Amino acid sequence: MPRPGPRAVSARTAPTPAYRAAVLGRVLLAALGGYAVAALATGLFALVLPMPRSEAVTTATLLSFAVMVAVVVAVFAARSLARAAALVLGLAAPLAGGLWLAGAFAG
Amino acid sequence: MTPLVVVLNVTLCFAGFAALALSLDRHHREALAGRVPAGRVLPLRAAGWALLALSLAGAVAWEGLNFGPVQWIGALTGGALLVVLVLSYRPAWLRPAALLALPLGLAVVPAILLAFAH
Amino acid sequence: MRQGFRHAMAWLHAWSGLVVGWVLFAVFVTGTASFYRAGITQWMRPELVAIEADPGRAADLGAAYLRRQMPDAMGWFIALPTPEKPAISVMWWKSMEGPFHEALLDPATGEPTRARETRGGDFLYRFHYELSMPPTLGRWIVGACTLVMLVALISGIVTHRRIFADFFTFRRGAKSAQRGWLDAHNVAGVLGLPFHLMIAYTGLTLLATLYMPWGVRTAYKGDEIRYFVEAGLMPELRWTAGRPGTLAPLGPIVAAAMARGGEVPEGLSVWNPGDVNAAVVAIFEEPHGLSHHHAQIAFDGQTGAVLGTNGAVGPATGTGTVMAGLHMGHFAGPVLRLLLVLCGLMGAATVATGLVLWAVARAPKGAAPAGFGLLLVRALNLGTIAGLPAGIAAYFLANRLLPVGLSERASFEVGAFFGVWVLVALYAVLRPGPRAWTQALGLVGALYLAVPPVAALTGGLSQPGGALRFLGFDLWMLALGLGFVFAARKAAARAGAPLRRPVRGMTGEEALRA
Repeated sequence: MPRPGPRAVSARTAPTPAYRAAVLGRVLLAALGGYAVAALATGLFALVLPMPRSEAVTTATLLSFAVMVAVVVAVFAARSLARAAALVLGLAAPLAGGLWLAGAFAG
Repeated sequence: MTPLVVVLNVTLCFAGFAALALSLDRHHREALAGRVPAGRVLPLRAAGWALLALSLAGAVAWEGLNFGPVQWIGALTGGALLVVLVLSYRPAWLRPAALLALPLGLAVVPAILLAFAH
Repeated sequence: MRQGFRHAMAWLHAWSGLVVGWVLFAVFVTGTASFYRAGITQWMRPELVAIEADPGRAADLGAAYLRRQMPDAMGWFIALPTPEKPAISVMWWKSMEGPFHEALLDPATGEPTRARETRGGDFLYRFHYELSMPPTLGRWIVGACTLVMLVALISGIVTHRRIFADFFTFRRGAKSAQRGWLDAHNVAGVLGLPFHLMIAYTGLTLLATLYMPWGVRTAYKGDEIRYFVEAGLMPELRWTAGRPGTLAPLGPIVAAAMARGGEVPEGLSVWNPGDVNAAVVAIFEEPHGLSHHHAQIAFDGQTGAVLGTNGAVGPATGTGTVMAGLHMGHFAGPVLRLLLVLCGLMGAATVATGLVLWAVARAPKGAAPAGFGLLLVRALNLGTIAGLPAGIAAYFLANRLLPVGLSERASFEVGAFFGVWVLVALYAVLRPGPRAWTQALGLVGALYLAVPPVAALTGGLSQPGGALRFLGFDLWMLALGLGFVFAARKAAARAGAPLRRPVRGMTGEEALRA
């Protein structure tokens, strides 16, 4: 993952603070960002999928975990933390916008 | 009758995976010595895949589209595990065991048919 | 670039697997045991023997007991006796936040049974997804670990892309320990891969509305009950009216449920039993098939009139119930169940070999001392991989060795489970070194081997049904015991001089490579 590649670490050189920060950043981004994207996608698809309300909720909820796994893998595969963050934001923003359009935030 | 169908599934999967393993040089060397003869690779692979497919067909025919595939996937794991164990501990037994598994698997077919006739 | 991606995935696989490995091992082991939950419970309550019980009378006896415990409950649940569980088990609660009280009643008298007090297989089942923690916290921890497991599986597939070529390769004679552990990890992981992916994903979807409530939140404004009713998962119920009422006898309701549902219901839930709006829901066993979908009929608790049933489920909800069914494996007969258990054990083995592999791959070369992190991983590995199975064996032994009439007996059994686990883990911390594995695994083997004789000597021979009543359970204990003894011997061989003699069956090619 992060550029000071895995070999550098496993070979008993002490990880640098920068490396540690990069790992922590990705872990947080994967956990929080991954969950946020999955949650937004679930909320949106539950509203907009063209099927009975209960079926749309079930479909969206069952698929949510695949969404989150995909985001987590993508975050760790991205070339830099900035790219990973851009990816998460790029997914979350349109989903949140869609939810807003669908009136989910109207209360 | 389900246990009989499981026997059929596992024996066919075992024979199929054994054929697939024997089509690879490394395992052929362990089980039979030497590389796989040139003309053997394709027939072994074809037989292997055909046996796995046959096992699925049997599972679906007698257990239905619901249980059949589930049971077949379990049998895939069981059959492959047996191949790994034989290859690790008694590699020379792989071919005889596969040749024994085939008639054993086919032998339960009449029993299954009989059980379903009742 | 491809190389970069594979590197990233290898890193992700190793570290994500390590972080959740110990929890996942415990989840896999107790989950696998849960495939035999009913059988374990039966073994742990040998006093209960199958008797013919009238379901209607059993329901009324249960209700009579519950009325004495909590007439103004929010809910009661009465599970009717079955041949596997020949007792009435009842639960009652004031609110959905709990606490949920439970008791086991004799179907002949309606009084608490004289069977030994134990949590039986239910303890292992609950541990599987709650880890003996406060339920919500435990479920979130297990869910997070399960999601990381899915990530580890995906990244593992990418990392070991050669696994499909190396499908059958298990170089048990491999000279390098790392090679051998890697092969074992691959074989257990790849052969069980369909099961591992299925069990992880369906485990998440089983508690989907807890982990991912946002669809219910947006589409139903968070009204989960409404969602369950519309999806066909439960019948429509009524709110309490706040006026006291009299609950009708349950016998006729059971009879009506049997007439309408075609079979004896599994149990009855009674909502607001002391209210005029009381409702009784008869819940049936799931029909033959993969789907985990129980038919339900709701009755008016005052008049016994039918209020409604849960509707048919649509394709998506049907998929969800099939996923739940696959995870629980209620559909499996004895042979298929055995295959499921083997797959579960392979899952546990995948996690265990992966954990050991992590430590072996990072062992310092030569005389360099191991760092604190590595020592910690090693201690946790041994403490979990040997400690948890030892705890389960101790749980079984305590069930037979503790006096039957002991008060708080069930908690002492659970105490034995955790006590022995902690002892083994402490041993792993205090006595690190290659011998520790041999000794700990040998101890686990001895504990399992001790279960059948201890059961026989503590009244097992004179129990109804005789010495062979629990033959299957005894055989499992022997198999597990021998398995752990075998593993201990393997560990001893590793701890001693490294294998120098050429191993039988090793080919020239392998000898060259080794």
